Amino acid sequence: MTEKVGIVGIGHAKFGKRTDATLRELAHEAVTPALEDAGVDMKDIDASVVGVACEDFAAQVSPAVLIHDYVGMRDKPVFRVEAACATGSAAVRTAWALIKSGLAEVVLVVGAETMTHLGTPGATEVIARAGDTRWEYPFGITFPGFYALMAMAHMHEYGTTKEQLSMVSVKNHMYGAMNPYAHVQKKITLEEAMKSVVICHPLNLYDCCLISDGAAAAVLASEEKAKRISDTPVWLAGLGAASDTMMISERKNLTELKATKTAAERAYRMAGITPNNVDVAVVHDCFTIAEIIAYEDLGFCKKGEGGNFIEEGQSYIGGKIPINADGGLKSKGHPLGATGVSMTVEITKQLRGEAGKRQVAGAEIGLSHNVGEAGQYCFVHVYSR
Amino acid sequence: MFGYVSCLPETKLVAKFVEELRNERLMGTRCRMCGAKYLPPRAHCRCGSADVEWFEASREGKILTYTLVGFLPQSMSKHAPYIVAIAELKDGSRLLAQLTDVTLTTLRVGMPVQVVCRSVSTNRIVYEFKPIKPICARKEA
Repeated sequence: MTEKVGIVGIGHAKFGKRTDATLRELAHEAVTPALEDAGVDMKDIDASVVGVACEDFAAQVSPAVLIHDYVGMRDKPVFRVEAACATGSAAVRTAWALIKSGLAEVVLVVGAETMTHLGTPGATEVIARAGDTRWEYPFGITFPGFYALMAMAHMHEYGTTKEQLSMVSVKNHMYGAMNPYAHVQKKITLEEAMKSVVICHPLNLYDCCLISDGAAAAVLASEEKAKRISDTPVWLAGLGAASDTMMISERKNLTELKATKTAAERAYRMAGITPNNVDVAVVHDCFTIAEIIAYEDLGFCKKGEGGNFIEEGQSYIGGKIPINADGGLKSKGHPLGATGVSMTVEITKQLRGEAGKRQVAGAEIGLSHNVGEAGQYCFVHVYSR
Repeated sequence: MFGYVSCLPETKLVAKFVEELRNERLMGTRCRMCGAKYLPPRAHCRCGSADVEWFEASREGKILTYTLVGFLPQSMSKHAPYIVAIAELKDGSRLLAQLTDVTLTTLRVGMPVQVVCRSVSTNRIVYEFKPIKPICARKEA
């Protein structure tokens, strides 16, 4: 049985309002470069794992088969996985398990979502139904609303400021402007971020991630195959996953995501590292407060100090740990099923030294953190060269 | 029917909860096997038991956190922006609901509130939070 599982190919479609392409075509746009990057073709792939979060977005029941067939996987096994906004990371984890079990040696992971066709009120409505439909959704709470509740609690408890939230947005837009695959490639000023329209007080427009269309793909292989296929495999060194209560109101602490803390502990333990060993990370910044809470829950700073961490510039390249140097969900965009796979693509690029202007020099250990819903799901992956 | 909007059928559990709520009684369920309490109620306990009984919950508590939902989901598009809060009740259980009779300037974390019944339309009902003493609220630090 294989000891390690490696990433040997990556591909990324342009994220954005992609009315020029359908779900299957976006998937193809990511899969083709992933296969070319790996230097393999479809006959070398044993199975695919497809991450699409929601039928309402896909406008297609059973979207995995649609994508699997369209990219030419024919009669091979296909899984669809779903973990809301963390669907893509659940797909990577599932591929790891398929290879580790010996059921497959080389697996194609595809994450894709089309969201913009529903418009912002429509997309907000669909995502709102990811909340508990009996006891929370009926009050008109939305996902920006859930994170606004956490933001207010964090501001009250730790004195985190509105300005610190906006600083996360300024950073992620700065890096997104350097990422050709990002939805919005535009720098913003602190003033623009602070003055943008209120979505759910205290979060305004620039505190919220984008509703996007997009796809990302990766080829994973067993240790033996990975070494044969690639000169620069990136290894999945640790995986951690956890879950939490469906109802936000049941949680004892509204200033943390318990699932992140648990998933991170598990991933660090499996990889045999501590947070201090991480050279580069992508974290789930669906809202700016989510990135600040992630700094704390992943152990990059102490509880309550996430606001200061961004204010001191510690999450910029050159700081203590560069975070979301691809623009994050905020600027790169957040096509739900694609996001987790896109995170794997970004960390693989960083560890290969292929991130261009956004490169974190000499990065050896990377981490991706992907949250589903408001912490109901969490996946943390640790990567090494 | 329960909620400003809903997408689930009215089960026996919800029908009973709504009937009691109309009489200003907030009902939760308690597991007869392990004693776990649930508010809002559940038909089954997390311990696996389906042997649950009703109990009347406290209707007083304090605000833990809140937001003004300014951008509304499609199903709520006919409403004006509303405040949603999470409150901790005196028995320790926590609820999410809309909060009325306050503005963002008078509202703060820790404000004492009461859970009351609100008719949304002839056949729709919800619970909501109302400040207990809005004028004296700032004394309750």
